[in-house]
Amino acid sequence: MRKKRKSLWRRVNENTYIQATSGLLLPMAFGVILFALWQTEVLHKIFHTDTFTLPVPTRILSVIVDNPDKVIQNVVATVTVAVIGLVIGSVIGYLVAIIATLFPRWGGGGLSIVAACNAIPIVALAPVMTNWTKDVSKDANIRSMVAKTLVVMIICIASMSVNAYRGLTELKPFSLDLMKSYNAKRRTVFFKLRIPNSVPYIFTALRVSIPASVITAVVSEYFAEYVIGVGRQIRENIVLAQYTAAWGYITVASLIGIVMYVILMIAERILLRRR
Amino acid sequence: MKERIKKAASSKVVVTLVWLFGIAAIWEVMAMRVAETKRTPANILPHIGDIVKSIFDAKMVSNNMTAVQLVLSNASDTLLRAFWGFLIGAIVGFLLAILMKLSKIVEKTIFPYLMLIQMIPILGMAPIILAMTHDIGASRIIIAAILTFYPIATNTLAGLNSVQKEKYELMYSYSASKWTIYRKMLIPACIPYLFTGLKISAPMAITASILVDTLQGDGGLGCILSQSLKHAMSIYVFWQIVLFSAAVGILSCTLMGWIEKIVSPMKRIERKQNSIFARRKEAQYEKEKEKSLATGE
Amino acid sequence: MKQSTKKIIATLCMATMSMSTVTACSSSETVEEKVTNAPEAAATVAAKSSMSSEDIIKKAAGEGKVGNWGLGNEYEIKALLTKYGQGTDYLSQAFDMDGFDDDSITLASAMTYNELGLVKNSYDGGYKYGDTVGTIDMNDEGVAMLEDNIFCTKDFATKNPNTVKAFLYASVKGWKYACEHPDEAAKIVYEYGSSVSGEHQSYMANEVQKLVTNDTKGKAVSQIGAMNEEAMQQTLDLAKKYIKLDDSAATDKLSKFTLDNVRDNSYMDAVSASKDGKFGTPEKTDVSIQLKWLPQAQFMGYYVALKLGYYDEVGLKVNIVPGGGDISETTAVNNGTVDFGVTWVSNLIAANAGGMNLLEVAQIYQRSGLVLVYKLDSFK
Repeated sequence: MRKKRKSLWRRVNENTYIQATSGLLLPMAFGVILFALWQTEVLHKIFHTDTFTLPVPTRILSVIVDNPDKVIQNVVATVTVAVIGLVIGSVIGYLVAIIATLFPRWGGGGLSIVAACNAIPIVALAPVMTNWTKDVSKDANIRSMVAKTLVVMIICIASMSVNAYRGLTELKPFSLDLMKSYNAKRRTVFFKLRIPNSVPYIFTALRVSIPASVITAVVSEYFAEYVIGVGRQIRENIVLAQYTAAWGYITVASLIGIVMYVILMIAERILLRRR
Repeated sequence: MKERIKKAASSKVVVTLVWLFGIAAIWEVMAMRVAETKRTPANILPHIGDIVKSIFDAKMVSNNMTAVQLVLSNASDTLLRAFWGFLIGAIVGFLLAILMKLSKIVEKTIFPYLMLIQMIPILGMAPIILAMTHDIGASRIIIAAILTFYPIATNTLAGLNSVQKEKYELMYSYSASKWTIYRKMLIPACIPYLFTGLKISAPMAITASILVDTLQGDGGLGCILSQSLKHAMSIYVFWQIVLFSAAVGILSCTLMGWIEKIVSPMKRIERKQNSIFARRKEAQYEKEKEKSLATGE
Repeated sequence: MKQSTKKIIATLCMATMSMSTVTACSSSETVEEKVTNAPEAAATVAAKSSMSSEDIIKKAAGEGKVGNWGLGNEYEIKALLTKYGQGTDYLSQAFDMDGFDDDSITLASAMTYNELGLVKNSYDGGYKYGDTVGTIDMNDEGVAMLEDNIFCTKDFATKNPNTVKAFLYASVKGWKYACEHPDEAAKIVYEYGSSVSGEHQSYMANEVQKLVTNDTKGKAVSQIGAMNEEAMQQTLDLAKKYIKLDDSAATDKLSKFTLDNVRDNSYMDAVSASKDGKFGTPEKTDVSIQLKWLPQAQFMGYYVALKLGYYDEVGLKVNIVPGGGDISETTAVNNGTVDFGVTWVSNLIAANAGGMNLLEVAQIYQRSGLVLVYKLDSFK
């Protein structure tokens, strides 16, 4: 009896099809159970909370559905900030890593300073940026957009530069010697060895930066001059004790993060499969 | 002797110091520009000298406390909460990683949700956690823990998964129990990874703790930071907090590095051995390649 | 190599050090100059622009330079903008007055007892504008909404009527003393872990006293803490008009609200009638009150009542919980973390519309403390 069960278990384990789908099905099943508990207010009993602070999912969804224009307008604002900040920040971060690789003696120290940026709280950074960008534009919308993007950028620079630097320097053992034995130029080493080696590290960095960029965008919206963005709506609603609406925007914020993450996963799969 | 000085000059400390001075120089140049063009330069970018001066300023900014006393007394609250949050986060993260390693089903089911939790803005979670605990101090610690456990869990899991198949086979050949496998092989193997996670989340715990200070007032760096930004007290309190939090963040990361050295002094040696092993493998591969080239294939 | 490195380090050190000392000196000189040049602040004398309030609002709104903090503080501004036929958009004002200072906001929101003091005065954190700024008062414009009150949950009030009455009696007594002795009250607050400078605290106490003892029409208040029916109704009407909620269920609820949904006069009536503060044994003796912000003279009445033992006299042990965070006072009271709270009437209305069950039991501030402040130079 026991043996049989084990062999079934093993068969399940070795079946790649089941393995692949279970990665999708299990979390979904968990999600469905969670939602069922939430909707039937069992979750509220477990957490000792009420339907007021944690409204049921259908109520939350109704708020999103009722205000499509407002939701979209705020989502666009947040996504723009998060994506622009992420892209510029990551590019700069990568360039910093390249410079650090080219000048190893001074680069390493510089990098640790860049990494230290991560330790500065966003709550401190966001108001400073708002103050620094006062002269950028006469339009408060553009001005605060720049300020928010800068904050996201700084956060992304730090994680990208540290990871990319590792990718550019932590080469496979002996590969550098191999290149040398081929009498390869520094340039060739750089383009043929270092840059390809850093690609997986770029994705590692992005996996950290994407959730961070969304959260940073959301938090920096609290301090921005112009009233817009998912984060700002969350705060307005929480302070006004409008928890249903607040949860609507929280859901939207989480969705933005998830969608961006899924896009990254797909891109990673396509790009890294070829290697 | 000459070599030694050369070595010292290019050592990490000196390099970092030079960088710091460079940044300070840029800061000062910018501050000078700001001072010329703005009416209240202290709000935008004060001179470093002024910030330092404000640290030693004996003027009371609040009830019988100077700026630096105020910052330090509030910092103790915040750092204590950060410490507890970090500790709980580290333990929970580590246990979750082991749980996920023990059962693939658990891993597949909860891993995406761990990430999801990170994406929920704290502001949303805070009232619910407050409703659960009925105590703002406890809620703050829990939130700090939630914000810090993820890097620890993922890194530890990566460490547990990094063990080569051969090692498992060796353990199986000794007919080692599951407990022994974890104790003797998996947990030691994941320690370096755990520390990578700890290094990431230690500054995060501090950042998180400052952020959650603003949840309900009642003391803490985050509170006086917002108060100072509101100009209810000297703006230099704000600048001191910025510098202080950055310094403590870096220090916490370094501290993790020290603890790592104490806990696992073997790590370096092991790494060296690993690389030697890899080098040998590589060399072997090279030789074979040369051989095949030589035979003209 | 070593030589060059050393040289670089040395020059950099020298450069930064000399630069910082030079600049530090020069900046401190300029600061002193500013202080001596600044006109002495006179908070009470209101300067006026030659332009009418209407023209000032129209001009600022036309340029899109009206500022407010939002987060439930914006309804009076919206009402005022609507009154003069302007759109209700405003700039999000930070919690400092930097935006006003650098002219990105020309018509900025300010509380008479806090931001206005910082704008005018020259103490630490102040912007030293003195009499070069003018204000538009919400009370004069007829769009005043009432602010700091005392509230608890309906449930708590029904279960602990004696506690509520005793707490109100002692608090009102504290407020009365504080309004008669604002400077002493400021000192008391300062001792209880004030978050603002001593000078600002004292300024604040004097301004708050005006809000507590005068109503929206400027008449003296006969009973501190009693609700003025007319002002309450105006607050509710404006709230219904300008509170915009995304949740349709909450919007429906709000549109049907009457004053009975938010306040109960009976507790204050009992307090006014009482000579000695004896209402029977309090059902709960350990109570806490959640403030709307950090300790400052805005809440001096409670600190005075605590310090002078008024709460002890009525048999209560009171814990004052400072606020100032993102978990609002309404949430904290509603989930039972604290018993009483101080909030603005409009916030309480919005919270009840959203599903909370809160009850206002006293109204401490009898007139709106919100003004719009402008530089006289900007509106000549």
